[in-house]
Amino acid sequence: MVLLQLLLNGIVTGCALGVVAVSFALVYSTTRIFHVAHAGIYTLGGYLAWSCVTHGVPDPVALLLAMLACTLLGALIQAQLYARLERRGATHLIVLIASLGVLAVIQNVIAAVYSPNILQFPSAWAAGVVAVGRLRLTYAQIATLGISLAAFVAVLLFARLTLLGKRIRAVASNPFLAEITRLEPRRVYIYVIGIASAVVCVPGVLVPLDLGLQPYGGVTPLLTATIAMIAGGVGSFAGAFMLSVAIVVFQNLSLLVIPGEWSIGITFFIFVVFMLFRPRGLFASA
Amino acid sequence: MDFLYSYLILAEIYVLLGLSTNLLVGIVGIFSLSQAAVFGVGAYIVADFLLSGALPFLPSLATAAACCVLLNVLVTLPSLRVAGDYFVVTSFGIQLLATAAFTNWTGGTGGANGLPGIPPAGLFGFTLTDTWQYLVLTTVAAALGCLCFWLVMRAPFGRLLRAIREDELAVAAAAKGVLRAKVEAAALAGAFGGIAGGLYATFLSFIDPSSFDLDASILLLTMIVVGGARTLGGSILGPFLLLALPQALALVAIPTSIAAAARQLIYGVLLIAFALFRPQGLLGERL
Repeated sequence: MVLLQLLLNGIVTGCALGVVAVSFALVYSTTRIFHVAHAGIYTLGGYLAWSCVTHGVPDPVALLLAMLACTLLGALIQAQLYARLERRGATHLIVLIASLGVLAVIQNVIAAVYSPNILQFPSAWAAGVVAVGRLRLTYAQIATLGISLAAFVAVLLFARLTLLGKRIRAVASNPFLAEITRLEPRRVYIYVIGIASAVVCVPGVLVPLDLGLQPYGGVTPLLTATIAMIAGGVGSFAGAFMLSVAIVVFQNLSLLVIPGEWSIGITFFIFVVFMLFRPRGLFASA
Repeated sequence: MDFLYSYLILAEIYVLLGLSTNLLVGIVGIFSLSQAAVFGVGAYIVADFLLSGALPFLPSLATAAACCVLLNVLVTLPSLRVAGDYFVVTSFGIQLLATAAFTNWTGGTGGANGLPGIPPAGLFGFTLTDTWQYLVLTTVAAALGCLCFWLVMRAPFGRLLRAIREDELAVAAAAKGVLRAKVEAAALAGAFGGIAGGLYATFLSFIDPSSFDLDASILLLTMIVVGGARTLGGSILGPFLLLALPQALALVAIPTSIAAAARQLIYGVLLIAFALFRPQGLLGERL
């Protein structure tokens, strides 16, 4: 029974993490920027929603407001920082350093404004429990599962069906060619990071409903998500999502034998195994 | 006076770390975010040996340096197989793993409470008790480190390392051993990190995981970005400037509850500003 419960918890958290992985993959496969600051946006989303909720805004509206703010911040980072760096001919290393700087700024602004301690969402509904047999799921978990899956499907459909989605994929597959057409890669990059920031806000708000908020809490999820993206194969959204679920389930099951503090070790072990045996990932496109 | 001395001592210890980080990030071009982990391993090894009385100071420092050489080589090895961004993940992961180990392996590290009461360093039967004596020790250590860095940089080996960063393929095609050069650079960086850790632990006589976490790695990176990548001057200037920052902040009335966050915030701003406006740092070459 414990096993089943852990499996279930793993699937719920895994789906949320899958959304982080998909949003990161969206940025990485298009812009080729290793957007570390994404972890900051993930955290910021949760805090903004928390602020709205404590000021009496209904929860769904708070989520939407946080998504809107994160979209703007993401677009700003691309337009004002990454684009400038690219114009100045900055190397990959410099862009990475700048992104790390943005992460440090976001995290510490949060820590200074909200305090570095854990904050809990005041939403009373989230703690309600549905029990099936002896398996228990909180309402927060059910919301996480449902909304995360919906967000994942929405991203897939968006990339496949909409004009902007096609434009993004075109730029991703050949930025050089895109430059001489009317696809305007630079503008597309702004849209991409904006959209990805909105998407990452969804797990950024949902996961803390259960686990609480911490200013420096975004790094580990992002690391796990990037590992899932690499293991799934860069460019494959479904691969990134599935691997996220698999890694988190594996992590949860490992709790039976290894204490939780070491779960980062498990994640990392998976990464090393992939690097050794299948560095291109499971579902890499040729 | 002691206040000034301890600033100088810490800055000199961080100069060793700056050299270590500069060697990997600046010169070979391996983006390592786990140098604080290596630093921590060195500190904990020396602390454990001295606390248990198993080894005197110099042998434990040598053991720490040897372990850090091994560790840093192991940590850097993936960069030979996985390129660029994948190594960022590796090094992020190693740093988080090390923080988890420092915090949770209470047997060896005292966990989150840290290790208090580390005995002072002793050299040839002479115990260093005064701050100025430590200053002499760290000055000698930092000077030796700088000399070593300078010699390596003007040797053919230094040119080889720089060539690897510019064009790894060309170096391999010229039948130079890329693998060997990277391993040797990582070993040297590891030795610097381990020795810095040992000096740090004995000087402060207390260590805890917060000195060796991801923020510490970011601080090391900030030091070389601000000071200047790839030059000796940059590796020295960066630590001295950035360690003066907390002192300067202490003069401004900032509530203590947000002082740590304010400091890290400034590091972040510095990273962004230098990346945008002066990627070569104050005294460096273009990254």
